[in-house]
Amino acid sequence: MALQRTSRGLVAAVSLAAAVGLILTGCTNTGTGSNTSSGSSEQKVKSSDGPTCDISTYGGEKIDLKDAVVGFSQSEKEDNPFRIAETQSIKDEAAKIGVKKLITTNAQSTLSKQISDIQDMISQGANVLIVAPLNSDGLEPALSAAREKNIPVITVDRKLNAEACKDYVSFLGSDFVEQGKRAADQLIKGTGGKGKVAILLGASGNGVTTDRTKGFVDEIKAEAPGIEIVAQQTGDFARDKGQSVTEQLLQSNPEITAIYAENDEMGLGAQAAIIAAGKTPGTDIQLYSIDGTKNAVSQIVAGQYNGVVESNPRFGPLAFKTLKSFLAGDAVGQDIIIEDGEYDADNASSKVDGAY
Amino acid sequence: MSSVTIPLPRQGSALKLLQKYGVYLAIVLILVANLIFTPNFFTVDNLRTQLVQVVPVLIVALGMALVIGTEGIDLSVGAAMAMAAAVLPLYIGYGFLPALLIAIVAALVIGLVNGALIAFIGVQPIVATLSLMVAGRGLALLVAGEQLRPVIDPGVLALGRGTILGVPWAVLVAAALVAIVAVLVNRTTFGKQLVAIGGNRRAAELAGLPVKRILLVIYLVCAGLAAVAGIIGTARLAASVPSTIGNLIELSAITAVVVGGTPLSGGQVKIAGTVAGALLLQIITATLVKHNVPDAYSQIIQAAIIVVAVYIQRGKVFSK
Repeated sequence: MALQRTSRGLVAAVSLAAAVGLILTGCTNTGTGSNTSSGSSEQKVKSSDGPTCDISTYGGEKIDLKDAVVGFSQSEKEDNPFRIAETQSIKDEAAKIGVKKLITTNAQSTLSKQISDIQDMISQGANVLIVAPLNSDGLEPALSAAREKNIPVITVDRKLNAEACKDYVSFLGSDFVEQGKRAADQLIKGTGGKGKVAILLGASGNGVTTDRTKGFVDEIKAEAPGIEIVAQQTGDFARDKGQSVTEQLLQSNPEITAIYAENDEMGLGAQAAIIAAGKTPGTDIQLYSIDGTKNAVSQIVAGQYNGVVESNPRFGPLAFKTLKSFLAGDAVGQDIIIEDGEYDADNASSKVDGAY
Repeated sequence: MSSVTIPLPRQGSALKLLQKYGVYLAIVLILVANLIFTPNFFTVDNLRTQLVQVVPVLIVALGMALVIGTEGIDLSVGAAMAMAAAVLPLYIGYGFLPALLIAIVAALVIGLVNGALIAFIGVQPIVATLSLMVAGRGLALLVAGEQLRPVIDPGVLALGRGTILGVPWAVLVAAALVAIVAVLVNRTTFGKQLVAIGGNRRAAELAGLPVKRILLVIYLVCAGLAAVAGIIGTARLAASVPSTIGNLIELSAITAVVVGGTPLSGGQVKIAGTVAGALLLQIITATLVKHNVPDAYSQIIQAAIIVVAVYIQRGKVFSK
């Protein structure tokens, strides 16, 4: 009796699994079209003053990139436009230059995986490494493995708490404090320097969050005494959290006139919350954020969003150019800060195609 | 078989009352505090916002309560949400209802594998569902691609934003599911069998209950409810985000169930308590956000409230 029931259950289970298998295989054909391209707006260097690094100081041998095995260690899952565009840009540029081999890894937001990824690439014979660090600290074991073999390491988008030209060669990235400051400038201009503002913070304990908050808050304090920051709450860089936090804030502070989100995703979540509250985003409540994703910039074009400061993820060309000079024996800057663009109502429609 | 609480010696009647009604008392206290200290809290719009926001956790917690009633646990509910969210936009071209059904069926695969591993192969629930928690989300991302995908469909938008007589559709769906699960637990043979398994699986087997089949069905129901939560979450955003939807929701759901008086040791299922537990978590979060409490403190405060609630429940939570 029990046996019979069991087998009936199993038959049901197997047929359900088969049905679902069909559904899933069906999906893969229709669903995985990616519209991400490496895009057009190439990074420009804003500043690389200060100390430089060359191969005789760092150690190692000169080599042509065409003969080099390049390892790229991505930090976070490629589930957001920034990471997708960043990896794609490295791949595209490697193909363009014609490096001997490009190895890419993804640490899936786990520090220990990033360390072993880098060590694996070294044992696979990587001659140079491009690393997008998951965190400012914690990569020492991987860096020392590279150091032992005199493998040059370029870090992109997040700066390490380590010594340039000793633990790694150079850092390429944006100035996140500056991004926050520019978002504040956009907001001050848009609101006329008056009103009540809520900040949607990024993930707690993240250096990007700290910098983008500092740049914004300091600039508002210095330049716009008429603006009051009434709330600072974390939206974890995620759209749904940005939406639910904004819903709460709009209920308790109906007088909020502008929102600054530390990434585009939270800004778009806030936009949904504003619409749900029966107000018009862009007019009743102004919206500013940082990233420069196509989703957000196209909302500026639609008049439902006010400003976006770009954080350019396309590190490929600049990273390989820096490596090429370094490997040829030239001195390269230790801190290469890139110039980020910005989008507002005046330029969004002409620049939206360059957004990622 | 419905209750297997061992009364603690010299337990005051006040403590008993607190155990039974503590979660409701906590809700009342926090609401009163908000009435006094939070501007605009008792407005229709705000109360509606709280109800809408609690819906995903509440629906997931219903399924979790059933699973916990069998002395199990389901860590893969977030993955089931992600699976439903991932599949929905792929089939939305066929219309809202077909896409909805296909999305739920896709999420049921996760429940099916859970149930099969736990009921037929004898894998421990925490191990089986932990595997599916990781693998299920991976599969969802494989199916959907990792990028966010806007879902623009009248049916989806209505579910996310529409109301009927001022009550949001999402809240109505949740209320209906609460009613169905409550009847299932309290009024059907299936409900009695479920708590019998949680109370003493061996005895239930000896009594001739179809234990394996019941377990399989419970994990399917849990995944199906999570799928509904995933679809409502997707509808609220008007976008499918399988990479983040339902992250850590298993913790909120388990907390809601336990705070609501269902012991982790199985043998009891408190649906009203689970609803109250989910509402309590929601109101705490809302209160902290509205008072602009920094994230680090609000995490500590939430944890402290949970510890107190579970401590009061201890007589029920830790004994059979």
